[in-house]
Amino acid sequence: MSEHFKNELVTNLPNIATTPFQKIDKKYFKVISINFFLITLFICIGLFLLQQFFFSESILKYNIYEYIGVILFSFIFYLYFFLAFPKRKYALREKDISYKSGLLFLKTTTVPFSRIQHVETDEKPISRIFKLASLSVFTAGDSSDDLVIKGIKKQEALKIKEFISSKINA
Amino acid sequence: MHNSYTFSEFSKQSPKGIFIIYVAEIYRAIKLFWIFLFILFKDYSKFSSYGVNYIYLGVVLLLLLLFLRAYLIYINFQYKIAHQHFILEKGILKKTLIEIPFHRIQNINFKQNIVQQIIGVFEVSIETAGSKDTEIAIKALSLEKAETLKATITQGQKLVNKVVEEENLEPIVKISFFDLLRVSLTENHLQNLFLFFAVVIGFFNQIQQISDSFGQSEALDGYISESTSNLSESIVLVTILVILLTVIALLSSFVKVVLIHFNLSAYLKDDAFEINQGLLTKKSIVLKKQKIQNVTISTNPLKRLIGISFITFKQAVSGKVNNKKKEKLIRLVGCKKQQIEILKKSVFHELSVEKSVKQNPDSYYKKILFFWTGLFLLICYTVIFYFINHIEVFYSLLVIIPVTTLLLLKKVKKRCYQISEEMLIVGKGLLETHLTYLDIFKVQHIKIKQSIFQKGSNVADLVLQTASGKIEIPCIAYQEAIKIYNHTLYKVETSNAPWM
Repeated sequence: MSEHFKNELVTNLPNIATTPFQKIDKKYFKVISINFFLITLFICIGLFLLQQFFFSESILKYNIYEYIGVILFSFIFYLYFFLAFPKRKYALREKDISYKSGLLFLKTTTVPFSRIQHVETDEKPISRIFKLASLSVFTAGDSSDDLVIKGIKKQEALKIKEFISSKINA
Repeated sequence: MHNSYTFSEFSKQSPKGIFIIYVAEIYRAIKLFWIFLFILFKDYSKFSSYGVNYIYLGVVLLLLLLFLRAYLIYINFQYKIAHQHFILEKGILKKTLIEIPFHRIQNINFKQNIVQQIIGVFEVSIETAGSKDTEIAIKALSLEKAETLKATITQGQKLVNKVVEEENLEPIVKISFFDLLRVSLTENHLQNLFLFFAVVIGFFNQIQQISDSFGQSEALDGYISESTSNLSESIVLVTILVILLTVIALLSSFVKVVLIHFNLSAYLKDDAFEINQGLLTKKSIVLKKQKIQNVTISTNPLKRLIGISFITFKQAVSGKVNNKKKEKLIRLVGCKKQQIEILKKSVFHELSVEKSVKQNPDSYYKKILFFWTGLFLLICYTVIFYFINHIEVFYSLLVIIPVTTLLLLKKVKKRCYQISEEMLIVGKGLLETHLTYLDIFKVQHIKIKQSIFQKGSNVADLVLQTASGKIEIPCIAYQEAIKIYNHTLYKVETSNAPWM
């Protein structure tokens, strides 16, 4: 193979940096928001219960600050999610699938179809309301951080799954 | 080869297997009940002679039951070979039928623990990559039968793979006892010392838990606090301790190396390695070249002095890489330079990558390493100073800072990579030096990571995921990372060679 493939050709290889990436469905941000709201709510309820039953008098004076702290903290997180959301993108090429994400820590992962062991789509309860699904692909070895694309339309996810399956079996 | 066994009919293990299973069952029972035994021996005098008789009776009954169980396990364990499948039937009440197609079999290994050595039978384990339940162990087979079984399966595989067999029975690596001594002297003693203490501490924890439950913790605690207060007072004791630790470290290295690698010999066959080693448990491993995911050649300053290094072969694992899977790391210790060369040449088709330019990470790597270490030291010293309020504490920095700086510089220097058309070499290490060789097409997926700070310096981390774990190249120029990224994908997507 090395005879008719020269190193200079590298510049002509399909380039991941110039590949057009597609954003995930906008509706998924609603899912994130709802999840976020629920978690914050749970923390607030937990805090309330703690204050009612466990905290001593000396701490109770700062009640209001605790709530402000929790809400401020989650607001910062929420802002981060909001800003990072447009960075979640995926690209499907002829021979591989890629996903990138992250605002402060950018990450790009590519999995070639020829190395995929199996593909999975699943719908979490809240995502189902918006008819969204997540697509996971698994490779051999330690599969803990293989590629997962959350928040694409269910139809689209199934289509991609079908496409990849046909490529694996080919 | 022996044609006396065809394996077309179901056959059982060697009858000696009953005894092997029996011993294994007794061992298992002791492991389960050793706490009771411990109590029994401790308070032996407290039992009246009447009670002792009952205990003896109980033990005899248990031994009989275990023998019955061993017999039943033996009777119900049978295997055969049919249409390119290995078929196993086992289980006393819960019957299990396992069928493995030949091409899924990764390794056939022979093993002999001390009992099996005495009786003269071999344990044959059949390893598959994939689901973990299909690791099969046939506990007792005669050598003849075991070899025939192996030959039958490998020949069956050959039919599939169409490889011509040509045996070369000259070992490429053979380590004598004296060599092994040298190997053990140059081991990473610090690591072995930690390992030793981990085992000891684990053991003491267990004992303490038992004595706790009997309300005797004060005695033990008193003993410990007494000895610690003595310790801090006496310098002599500290010196003795240091000498003792050194001896323990050397001994534990020696014992570990001898136990695992005794009589190590490796044979090179056309498409596989055969490795034999072990003192109490003799192991014979067949390692297919094709299934090797990557190879790491490691050495340390001591080993370099006498010109040896060790080589680690990594095979594909499935699921999480946990401790049990560590067995799939196959290590050859004490290889000389020319042996390493032979091994490398036989695993990889071409090694032009070694001639390519050695590239180091961006200076950003050095900066970030020093930054984090500095921060860590700062936090450590703040905490220490908070508890020990003496300014003298900071005198230790006179030693710590130069040593850490030196170590970090070494670490930076050892971080490097070389890349060619087909292959990649990644170097790393602190005191030891590890060079990992990887066929690019065996990569499973690839990842590029860049923090916002790295973006400012225009560098990125590259993570290559193989079937036997991650290989990371930190902090290289972004353009370079993208180039390797694209090249790797190109290689993976155009190659037709099986990665496993």
